[in-house]
Amino acid sequence: MSGLVEIQLLNGVVQGMMYALVAAGLTLIFGMLDIPNFAHGAFYALGAYVAFTLISATGNFWLAIAVVPLVVAAIGLAVDAFAMRRLARAGHVYQILFTLGLVLIVQEAIVIVWGADPTSVDVPAALAGGVPLGAVSFPWYRIFLVVVAALVIGAVWLGIERTKYGAIIRAGIDDPSMVDCIGIDVQRLFTLVFGIGVGLAALAGALILPIRGGQPAMGNELMATSFAVVVIGGLGSYLGAVAGGIFVGVVQAVMTIVYPAASEVAIFAAMALVILVRPQGLFGRR
Amino acid sequence: MIRFAALVAVVALAPLVVHYPELETQILTFGLLAMSFSLLLGEMGFLSFGQATFNGVGAYAAARVLIDAHAALPLALLVAMLAGAGVAAAIGALASGGRGVYGVMLTFAFNEMAYYAAFQWRDVTGGDNGLRGIPRPDIFGIALDDATRYYYVVAVVVLLAFAAVLRLNASPFGAVLRAIRENEERARSIGFRVARFKVAAFAVSGALAGLAGGLYAELYRFVPLQAIDLDTSTNVVVAALLGGAGSPYGALLGAAIFTVLSDSLSHVWSHWPLIFGIVFCVVVLFFRGGLWSVFDRRSARAAHG
Repeated sequence: MSGLVEIQLLNGVVQGMMYALVAAGLTLIFGMLDIPNFAHGAFYALGAYVAFTLISATGNFWLAIAVVPLVVAAIGLAVDAFAMRRLARAGHVYQILFTLGLVLIVQEAIVIVWGADPTSVDVPAALAGGVPLGAVSFPWYRIFLVVVAALVIGAVWLGIERTKYGAIIRAGIDDPSMVDCIGIDVQRLFTLVFGIGVGLAALAGALILPIRGGQPAMGNELMATSFAVVVIGGLGSYLGAVAGGIFVGVVQAVMTIVYPAASEVAIFAAMALVILVRPQGLFGRR
Repeated sequence: MIRFAALVAVVALAPLVVHYPELETQILTFGLLAMSFSLLLGEMGFLSFGQATFNGVGAYAAARVLIDAHAALPLALLVAMLAGAGVAAAIGALASGGRGVYGVMLTFAFNEMAYYAAFQWRDVTGGDNGLRGIPRPDIFGIALDDATRYYYVVAVVVLLAFAAVLRLNASPFGAVLRAIRENEERARSIGFRVARFKVAAFAVSGALAGLAGGLYAELYRFVPLQAIDLDTSTNVVVAALLGGAGSPYGALLGAAIFTVLSDSLSHVWSHWPLIFGIVFCVVVLFFRGGLWSVFDRRSARAAHG
């Protein structure tokens, strides 16, 4: 019994790091840029499916996880440049609606290109097997996921907090016209941030593929969960998104043992509780 | 007034011109749902992804009292409205406090919660299989075993609700909602209790959506799990916006187009949502007032506001 609980907790951390990766991207786009991107889950799904094609075609998992974020981020850049910026003046509602249209397009395009049935790929050979943990073993691949997610999340954080470009972006968010006056095209940097956020979602989709496989509706489910994650963590707080992601992953995993029927509902109940008790979220400042 | 009379005429004559009462009933129930959405967006400026929550709660509540208590239809519909209103008020209280997009996210997330709750709570909802075997009692001694007769019952209810929404929009209550939409801070500083008005607007919207759910439950005497899922909420948003969410007429028009398209196109090409998504994106980019704005300039301005 005790082995099961520990494995389940570890699984919760793994899933939580994936949520954290997605929610970190969502925080860049939603919290920093103030663009309500309801297609974030669709980009995640697209990441999984593009990875599926690349792995099937080349047999190279490493190539796939390197290329997928770039490909999907490129789509994100185009979306931002052509639509989101144009709609910024019309208001949030229209940005939400546009991304909703994107969700319809992506979801259906996935069914057309890859079919409605779930897809899956094998764990890369180099990461097959697991670490023995008493009577059971824990897959290497899952440990790899946690490490990659932690590195990427950390790198993006450093990029924003510790580099010149990060400083310009933060300044641009505080006072865009002032940054414009200095002669910096801050819009271009914002679009880059949008692309990075989308890339994080796509990376999470690609990484999760060998464990969970892909299905066309995977994006919408994730979207709702990551909303809960950012509300719990604190909307706009990067650290909060990461902590919220791990928290939600672990809660889900624990509930799966304790009371499986409520494992999904529990997350949203936790979200409701946070709104009532601490509306700014666990790590938010308001 | 002329417009409303025209609407009544269209609704009254529709099954005589094209005899497909099930689809026409579905247009009306979905139209009512779209109206419940447009009340929040068009008047108050709140984009709700929670309409399927209220719709589903209403559908299950009506179905339960019809099955378990053999309730009369009007009572079942009343229960559906109350259930929808109650849940909507609770979610509205949680979701409408924060600024802007935050609340939109919350309605989305709570809809997913409602879906999972319905999925797991099999004894009440039938879970994945849906809730079957809902009786359709006589109303005022008239048997409703015929699809056309049921259509006219739904038509009367929906038109009454429609008239009530028009009346509400023209009332001081509607004016306060618009004041909140235009400038929430100003509405607050004038002295309106903005939070209460928002919760009240949610309750009204939830009552309409719950009513739509109750009527839908009786249409096929079946409540599918889809009645409460996020795709339904999304479809409501898409349909209402397509027609023009600034006006209840636009919402009804959008719902009619959406229902007819999804019924007919799904036979022609099962991937029609792709085209639909593209059209929707184009509408959002270039024709923000929706189709109704072609007929009505005022709703175009409202939607741009």
